[in-house]
Amino acid sequence: MARRRNPIRAPIVLALLIAGLAVSLVLTLSIGSSVLPFHTVYRILRDKLFGGAQALDAGMEAGLYTMANYQVVWNIRMPRVLFGMLCGAGLSVCGAAMQALVLNPIADPYILGISSGASAGAAAALLLPLPIIAGSNQVVLFAMLGAMISSAAVYTMARVGSGGQIRPVTLLLSGTAVNAVMSAATSLLVFLAKSPESIAAVYNWQMGSIAAAQWSTLWFPMVGVAIGVVVFSCCGNRFNQMMMGDEDATSMGLNVRRFRTLMFIVSSLVVASLVSVTGIIGFVGLVVPHIVRLLAGTSDNKTVIPFSAVLGAIYLIWADSAARGLFGGAELPLGIITAFVGAPFFMYLMARRKYGGQAQ
Amino acid sequence: MNIEFENIRVSLGGAPILHGVNLRAQTGKVTGIIGPNGCGKSTLLKTLFGIVPRESGAIRLDGADAASFTRKEIAERVGYVGQEIPCVFDFSVRDIVGMALYARRGVRRAERDRIIETALTDVGLLHMADRSILTLSGGERKMVFVARSLAQGVDTIVLDEPTNHLDIRHQLFILDYLRASGKTILIVLHDLRLASYFCDEIFLLKDGNNLADGAPLDVLTEARVREAFGISGYAHLTNADTSDFFIDFASAKVG
Repeated sequence: MARRRNPIRAPIVLALLIAGLAVSLVLTLSIGSSVLPFHTVYRILRDKLFGGAQALDAGMEAGLYTMANYQVVWNIRMPRVLFGMLCGAGLSVCGAAMQALVLNPIADPYILGISSGASAGAAAALLLPLPIIAGSNQVVLFAMLGAMISSAAVYTMARVGSGGQIRPVTLLLSGTAVNAVMSAATSLLVFLAKSPESIAAVYNWQMGSIAAAQWSTLWFPMVGVAIGVVVFSCCGNRFNQMMMGDEDATSMGLNVRRFRTLMFIVSSLVVASLVSVTGIIGFVGLVVPHIVRLLAGTSDNKTVIPFSAVLGAIYLIWADSAARGLFGGAELPLGIITAFVGAPFFMYLMARRKYGGQAQ
Repeated sequence: MNIEFENIRVSLGGAPILHGVNLRAQTGKVTGIIGPNGCGKSTLLKTLFGIVPRESGAIRLDGADAASFTRKEIAERVGYVGQEIPCVFDFSVRDIVGMALYARRGVRRAERDRIIETALTDVGLLHMADRSILTLSGGERKMVFVARSLAQGVDTIVLDEPTNHLDIRHQLFILDYLRASGKTILIVLHDLRLASYFCDEIFLLKDGNNLADGAPLDVLTEARVREAFGISGYAHLTNADTSDFFIDFASAKVG
């Protein structure tokens, strides 16, 4: 009997990743304009989660932490870190899913035009006087609309371009085209805009940030990401079949067209629920699934999708910590950090020729 | 399993590909499909799985209309080894053969490894079980997908030019194995000599139509080969001592 390649490798890596996520959560909560000791953060979390109000009062009376410490950890940083985890997990599983759906390792929500659709929607809300819904809700709504319109356009164009049947290459090409159109629409809106404040708001939004996260805004992305992670994880076998090509997957009994349509809809919902709040955070969905494939030693989506969720969460909360900690009081947009880390890694992958390698 | 294609018509992008093709693959026999490039051989196979929609005609599996089966039910009965399978991502050989179990109900986790390793042993690839598919040659990849169809546990396998990229040793090995397996085999081949040697029955197609069918030596006459392929001087000879067939390439000419 042949020996299996590292049979315990995947469970060990998953266990390490989950432990790493828990540690990262505590560590990143301590980072910010005021740095708190790790043990203080840990104590606040322990008292809040397992002790309740009495334990918190006791902790403050004992001088272990102050009310201000509690407010910073629980009401300011915790929603932000949790939102970072949601963003990282959601974008990463969508990246893994899209790479399988279009049979291409360079696919992610950004390359397929969904993120730039959201960007155009947000730009419209920020720059055009549309007093339908007040305040930031309008940006969220319009960004979501933009993402959905973009997805529908990509899908329709791909279908027409493939003669009625969706093909991976036409999906990728129409994604590129829609990406270009949506980016141009955003630029046009900025060009036509009159208010310098609004233009600045669009630029800030495009650079991506999770600084606006609050407990009250967490629920919608939480539901969206939970649906995405659960649905994609349960469909690991089907995604594997998709990676063998449409003909092969069909011969194995998979309804390729229906599966691709459904998964595209789920991906769009997840990405829209996140991007509408955060702006453009690029390269997460592209890079994280690849790191997972390298770490776990397999492209099996039953492994890659849940691992991507955990690693993506870790990656983004650390990137966000760097965003708020690297330059002291001045916060760097998160999208800049993810691009600076993601793009060199992408080049490293190409240099390794890990994908599309020739037979030896 | 008996497979019957009745009067299959297919058009792709408005261009007619098949004009009413008939074919019958009998249980336990090796049935070959031959014909010049673009005559519709692969398209015919794809209609069985719904990969290519047919305009008209019927397909029967043991007499039952294939339209009454779901895709999954067909995959539980018939394996498919396509002409080209894109290998973009890094799967191990074991992972890929294991994907056969998607089409197979009720396989317990404990049985999984045994099924995969039996299939790999049968095609002589067990030593490569943990290699990445990306590191294999075209011929080796083809063998992996033949192993996957074996792991599917079906009694009928449809193969589209499985001997492409294979050296002569592996061509003989895999065709001998398939013939000895007792499974119903429907196979597209380009090599007329291999087709005549391994097939019990051959269907010759041209321009989306049936040209001839029957026993290999009855189909592969000089006149029919000239009509189908535009080759003159073709001679299909039989060695009386070895019962082997061979083609006299020296006298065959294009035109």
